[in-house]
Amino acid sequence: MYQKPVLSELPRYRGRQDCGGRRVPGGSATAKGRAAAAAPQLPRARQSRRGPRGPPGPPHPHLHPPTPLLPRSPPPGPGRAAPRRPLPAGSRAVTSRRGPAGHGRHFETPGPPLPPSRGGSSARRLPPAPGRRLPPRPPAPAAPAPRDMAGVAGGGGGNGNDFQWCFSQVKGAIDEDVAEADIISTVEFNYSGDLLATGDKGGRVVIFQREQENKSRPLSRGEYNVYSTFQSHEPEFDYLKSLEIEEKINKIRWLPQQNAAHFLLSTNDKTIKLWKISERDKRAEGYNLKDEDGRLRDPFRITALRVPILKPMDLMVEASPRRIFANAHTYHINSISVNSDHETYLSADDLRINLWHLEITDRSFNIVDIKPANMEELTEVITAAEFHPHHCNVFVYSSSKGTIRLCDMRSSALCDRHSKFFEEPEDPSSRSFFSEIISSISDVKFSHSGRYMMTRDYLSVKVWDLNMENRPVETYQVHEYLRSKLCSLYENDCIFDKFECCWNGSDSAIMTGSYNNFFRMFDRNTRRDITLEASRESSKPRAILKPRKVCTGGKRKKDEISVDSLDFNKKILHTAWHPMENIIAVAATNNLYIFQDKIN
Amino acid sequence: MLGRGLKRKLSDYEENMAGLSSRQLVLNMCLTKLQTYKMLVEPNLHRSVLIANTVQQESNCCDLRSAEDQIENSLLIVSDDDMSSAISSILKDLDFVEDISPPTCLVPTGDDQPKFPENAGLKLEDDRQDLKGAECVFGSFEISNSTSYLKDLAIDDIFEDIDTSMYDSDFCCPPLMPPRPPPLATEEPLKTFPSCNSSSANNIQICRTDLSELDHIMEILVGS
Repeated sequence: MYQKPVLSELPRYRGRQDCGGRRVPGGSATAKGRAAAAAPQLPRARQSRRGPRGPPGPPHPHLHPPTPLLPRSPPPGPGRAAPRRPLPAGSRAVTSRRGPAGHGRHFETPGPPLPPSRGGSSARRLPPAPGRRLPPRPPAPAAPAPRDMAGVAGGGGGNGNDFQWCFSQVKGAIDEDVAEADIISTVEFNYSGDLLATGDKGGRVVIFQREQENKSRPLSRGEYNVYSTFQSHEPEFDYLKSLEIEEKINKIRWLPQQNAAHFLLSTNDKTIKLWKISERDKRAEGYNLKDEDGRLRDPFRITALRVPILKPMDLMVEASPRRIFANAHTYHINSISVNSDHETYLSADDLRINLWHLEITDRSFNIVDIKPANMEELTEVITAAEFHPHHCNVFVYSSSKGTIRLCDMRSSALCDRHSKFFEEPEDPSSRSFFSEIISSISDVKFSHSGRYMMTRDYLSVKVWDLNMENRPVETYQVHEYLRSKLCSLYENDCIFDKFECCWNGSDSAIMTGSYNNFFRMFDRNTRRDITLEASRESSKPRAILKPRKVCTGGKRKKDEISVDSLDFNKKILHTAWHPMENIIAVAATNNLYIFQDKIN
Repeated sequence: MLGRGLKRKLSDYEENMAGLSSRQLVLNMCLTKLQTYKMLVEPNLHRSVLIANTVQQESNCCDLRSAEDQIENSLLIVSDDDMSSAISSILKDLDFVEDISPPTCLVPTGDDQPKFPENAGLKLEDDRQDLKGAECVFGSFEISNSTSYLKDLAIDDIFEDIDTSMYDSDFCCPPLMPPRPPPLATEEPLKTFPSCNSSSANNIQICRTDLSELDHIMEILVGS
């Protein structure tokens, strides 16, 4: 007699839930899941198609108590100087728990080159995208007809306040030979500006803390020193697709501080993690049941009881993962953004945007889905998304076609229909093969005021007034001289580079990166702009940065650099501006530069 | 190669002369890139979409040109989604066929090779055989049967060593079957699994109806 097995006895195939390479056991919608669904006050968006996830599975390696960071290089020898200068008693020591010199990224002193990360990035990587590693420098053809560099201000001078930018610090190895894992992939100040987080391709996060002002050295405003280093993401393997999931940190976003601990979200292509960074500077002594060494005492031998007392200890900074938001994205996550309600955040991949509650990891709401029924009809992808800084129901997302959509979550649960649509009509005279590619928006950022937003495409930065959809109110050319080089930039894939942009604290200036380790700042009030370079040559403390200029044609003046001499390997994709002061952090491949204004 | 790309900026005369070749140059580059991305285990969706749009726009432009400039392309898209759909992207195979005659229905055969000798090695014979002969102008995306990509493979051979007898009758769409054609959409296979999704309840109903029929047939076959 043919016996049919019972459906419920069969192993459950979790489908995409397993795409993180980790089996998530769990049955049907649990009570917890239903309760969680009822908890948030948000509109009930269409559930993600995969349905609620079960309870968490076997302990993820990161959920163990914080373990020491796996050393990426041998512990430094005795000859290595302790990187931290002694601080007066009572002030904050920032040694990390792994010892005075710390493992992981050696940001403090340029030490011996680190061996390739354990992931063996270069070894395991499949044939790289053409020309990605070492894009050939374009040969030097005859210079094309010069184009005006819009907005070039005369001479030096910084931004509207006439201050000048000075070198402050540089972090990272000096070597020419850059380990791929050390390439910085994101930079972000926290809300107070005291902490500066960087993520790299090796999945590590390094947090710098600003030192307190030192009375004995008034000229040196607080420097940033390593506060904590931890491995945020590991390379994963999707067994079903035989695909490796990169551990590269795509974005870091800080949460507003609510207690003594700091929280940040970090994400790679697939998984978002909430990290808690906390300090411990006291230790309890005098336990009754434990010896000082931790050995358990025999209860029968205890004759007297005592109250444990707290004793100070060397400051330890611990990073522990508090939430892991996984298995909600089919495509690569390109953005995360914390909402102004401080309870929710969004994550965006190429085709979808999901809304999360920070407390709930097994469920997310899909609020935007632009995937067509037939993938062959796909012509547009989401490139960036951000919540409005004040209105917790409003967010924007940008597309590869140069458009921005503003969505209001109050209007419908699924925000496929935008409330506002921002697009600048194309200038037919500047049409070329590559118009579509260079119009793709790589970053979108709201101003702190919430009135404007800024978008970055390949050649320009545009400032939009949220009340005007048909064109931007300001357009700044970042490197217009590249327009005639688009063909070779397409050939070596540089045309796909995703530059970010950022506002200063008062929204009066904007900054973005370029090639040859140049970065550009634009003052919105005076319409002046400046090009500066992040290089070791101009890295004397408090040295004023000299403005740079790219020669577009004709005779090259002294100190100018010609377009063909630009190094397209040295690209500045990630920059950050302190929320309140004129301090900027610029990521140049594996080095982090910190510049600040000169105190007049 | 770069020289040709820059030439068109110098003068209109040269632009007319070199216009076609520079477009060919760029389109060749597009083709190469898409092929290379296809070879990557994890194609980049963003880039693929941008390049595909660029190529399409160029074809729209060149449709407006004179007849001898017409470039016929058969655009074959093989959707690489499978049921787990961890990462899906568009894989497009761009074939350039330069034809002087006015566009006709393109009936591809094995020897209908593109005129660019350097691209000969980049074609997939399997894909070309599957074009149904619909008129392939560049503006329209050919919806291909994604299983065509696997047609020359004996599907069952791959899974020979996996014993599925226990599962066969209980799944409407066994997870080990080849990926469905795109019109069915990638989401559907997920719904047929006995998952927690409430919408799967209906599918289980459907499955159960089919199962009872299957049961019936099995009983006849087994004769018990």
